[in-house]
Amino acid sequence: MDISLTIGGPQGGGIDTSSNMINRAFAEAGYNVFGVREYHSNIKGRHSYNHLRVKEERPRSLKYPVDILVALDPDTIFEHLEDVGPGTKIIYDKSFETSDLAQARLIMRDTSIRIKEKLDSEKLPNNVNGALEYMKKRGGIPIAIPFSDVVTGAIDDGPAARYFNTLGSAVTLSIAGLDRKFADEAIKQVFSNKQKVVEENVKVVEAAYKFASSNNIAGTPLKVLPKKKRFLMTGNDGSAIGKIMGGLRFQTYYPITPASDESSIMEEHEHLQLIDKEMKRLKEGGVVVVQTEDEISAITMAMGAALTGSRSSTATSGPGFSLMAEGISFAGMDEVPIVITLYQRGGPSTGLPTRNGQSDLLFALNTGHGEFPRIVISSGDVEECLYDAMKALNYAHRYQLPVIHLIDKNLANTSDFVPDIDVKRVQVPQTLRSETRFDFKRYSLDTENGISEIGFLGQDIFWMTGDEHDEVGHVTEDPEIRDRQMRKRFKKLETALAEIPQSDMAILYGEKNADITFVTWGSQKGPLLDVIEDLREEGVKANLLYLRMFEPFPSEFVKSVLSNAKLVVDVESNILAQAARVIKLNTGIEIEKAILKYNGRHMTEDELLKAAKQIMSDKTKTVIEVLENGT
Amino acid sequence: MVHNFKSNIAVDWCPGCGDFGILTSITQALSELNLGPTDVVAVSGIGCSGKTPHYLNIGGVHTLHGRSIPFATGVKLSNPKLKVIIPSGDGDMLGIGAGHFVAEGRRNTGLTLILYDNEVYGLTKGQAAPTMELGEKTKGLTRANIFGKVNPITLALSSGYSFVARGFSFDMKQLKEILKTAILHEGSSLVDVLQPCPTYNNINTMEWYKQRVYKLEDDKSWDPVINSGNENQATEKFQKAYERGLEWGDRIPTGIFYDNRTIPSFTKRLNEYVPGYLSNPPATQLISGSDGYTPIDPYKTFEDKIIY
Repeated sequence: MDISLTIGGPQGGGIDTSSNMINRAFAEAGYNVFGVREYHSNIKGRHSYNHLRVKEERPRSLKYPVDILVALDPDTIFEHLEDVGPGTKIIYDKSFETSDLAQARLIMRDTSIRIKEKLDSEKLPNNVNGALEYMKKRGGIPIAIPFSDVVTGAIDDGPAARYFNTLGSAVTLSIAGLDRKFADEAIKQVFSNKQKVVEENVKVVEAAYKFASSNNIAGTPLKVLPKKKRFLMTGNDGSAIGKIMGGLRFQTYYPITPASDESSIMEEHEHLQLIDKEMKRLKEGGVVVVQTEDEISAITMAMGAALTGSRSSTATSGPGFSLMAEGISFAGMDEVPIVITLYQRGGPSTGLPTRNGQSDLLFALNTGHGEFPRIVISSGDVEECLYDAMKALNYAHRYQLPVIHLIDKNLANTSDFVPDIDVKRVQVPQTLRSETRFDFKRYSLDTENGISEIGFLGQDIFWMTGDEHDEVGHVTEDPEIRDRQMRKRFKKLETALAEIPQSDMAILYGEKNADITFVTWGSQKGPLLDVIEDLREEGVKANLLYLRMFEPFPSEFVKSVLSNAKLVVDVESNILAQAARVIKLNTGIEIEKAILKYNGRHMTEDELLKAAKQIMSDKTKTVIEVLENGT
Repeated sequence: MVHNFKSNIAVDWCPGCGDFGILTSITQALSELNLGPTDVVAVSGIGCSGKTPHYLNIGGVHTLHGRSIPFATGVKLSNPKLKVIIPSGDGDMLGIGAGHFVAEGRRNTGLTLILYDNEVYGLTKGQAAPTMELGEKTKGLTRANIFGKVNPITLALSSGYSFVARGFSFDMKQLKEILKTAILHEGSSLVDVLQPCPTYNNINTMEWYKQRVYKLEDDKSWDPVINSGNENQATEKFQKAYERGLEWGDRIPTGIFYDNRTIPSFTKRLNEYVPGYLSNPPATQLISGSDGYTPIDPYKTFEDKIIY
């Protein structure tokens, strides 16, 4: 079983509740759901949708066409014309049918013009009926439901519109063939057992299932799988949980999409019970989360905390990260252990504030003036977000430098079922000392690996300055000390490269000798792993060089993989093929073919597969395929 | 043994600089408060004032231009037992870092801001600082100052600072006493310190100030303190402080303008949400169990993320 679906409606109109219900209902029946949230920079009204995929095993990508499209407003019908294929069931309210495109004023003007052109080209009326006809030509099956009648027939009172999202999800579950008891259970969980609300919604579920069976749209019953305890997590959740587990006790942020959810999640879990391995309660603890006046304050305040010994970090997105540049340079110069989680969205400037992008890699590698060592890592799925957040804190403390953790918006808003959290996956070292050291050589040059012993404010007496400094931290402009301190700082990168396991830097997925080798980073990992399997079924051997660390860069490994590859295709969500540039810089190897996407929407399995085949059949030297899926 | 708060680093301020008086007042205040070397941390910005931490024999951070306040806030919030003093310039706090200055008033973290107020950017050759009067032409300027001035006292009051005072670098006795009260103050305090820049400010000289400054405390009825006993006078005392804050020209008041002890500090507010924060703060909190792994059980802590 492999069901793809999209639920769309106005922002603030209960789309997330619908998805949550679908997630939980399938979870109850033992299935796995994977989804991505797409939304406008808007509080209420504009089109938002969740794209989901349900499978027995964990899905790791999304694809078009969808099997079911649930439209909670007319805009959804117009916006998703192209997401429909043979057999797609389109669920919508009968009352939408006569809605005109011209009345859908919250559809972006350019989008509306394009929709109109499509309908006109097929000589179809510019209304929902016309759009449904368009979808029918693509093989779609419209299923009109009188939303209001079904709901008012079921509930005692209250506005019917409040239940439309429950109705939409329940019909979807029925079409998927899921037993009603799972939908009822999901309702209980979603509405946290608020009795009255649960009762009313359960009635709507019942009515939805009845409607589906009497109209012959209910699917054949799905087999029920063993139920498992799992975490339902987003990338934001993963990073927040990883940080707290990784010993983070101080987080700063300035509100920005899609980063601030991470800080809110941490604030929700700010009060901690610290338990030792014998499960004996030790102490109360907590994470301090501070909303600052700007991102300059966010980075510098987090550094101030780090200087006293706290594990400390900040989370931001492109515009905020730009403001942090000077602070990051200080962290490099003064060897401050600090983690910056950089949620990438479509740039430049405010760009596409709520959409995906991977255009900050080169910036992350070069943020801040002057030359200083840093570590730049990237996560590609929700679990990696969690464990990488823990590792990022460890790197920051081991090597005493800024660590930039890249997460793309697509991943931040990906929801995934995570089977477990393994506390033994990553160690959390801590050094507690009590004696005070006077004139402490915080920047001792007496070190083989570039790492000087760390000292903390409030414990040791030493100084720090953004100026070049001597061993205790006083300003110096002495040419010899300058040389030695510069070399000491950069030595740490060599140490990190030698100490950090290869698999934390780059991984080769798939067979060694392949007809096609993909190179990627971030959230394309899942879709490309699916594409490799698709290609294998067609007799094509494919593999994936997946990059996780860009500084220090695993040059030798990357060289060894790419120099033997037959056909290399770089896959990224940007226009410059930034990772390919990093590879060239570090290895001299130029990748001539690329699949790129910069429209701000997530890459899907189908479009990647199509582009890969296109590249394989194209004999020209340089090929760039640009992907365009998504609304 | 009494700690010597002066470090052995050679001071490179110009002869006659007001910074010397501030430095001495700081070391005397710390000594007289009987603080230990690890009880206090100094966090500065950039400029002549920014060098102060190097001249103090305590943990010191000479940070970025304008960012001393957020750095210091991080230090204090992570380890609230520390006294954190911020020797920073007028350009640092009221120009490039003005946003942080205002935000800190709202936070009331518990920091001691020591504002080196000489009306010029000394280290970059005497440009006008935000505290310089409109139309004033000091010798470092090619033409008279085209900007109006910001008033540190009234800005601090409006921003919410719970302790606002002014000292004069050539009255170290008064300045030292103000600093002692400020450092013991639970919330955040601003101490505006009038000081000449003998190299670039040929208008606001030591003599210029000496002819004008007077002490608020010389008026025996002056009482800026608000505590739980007289909270009903808070508005009136604020208004009086503001009025005195506006005074400038022939007579310039020094001393404590406002001392409100009833506003809870940020650290106390945090303790409401994170129980045990003050006794078990981030800087010294356990993050590793006896087995070297996290002492947090994710299945309990993040139970809300579990689906069954």
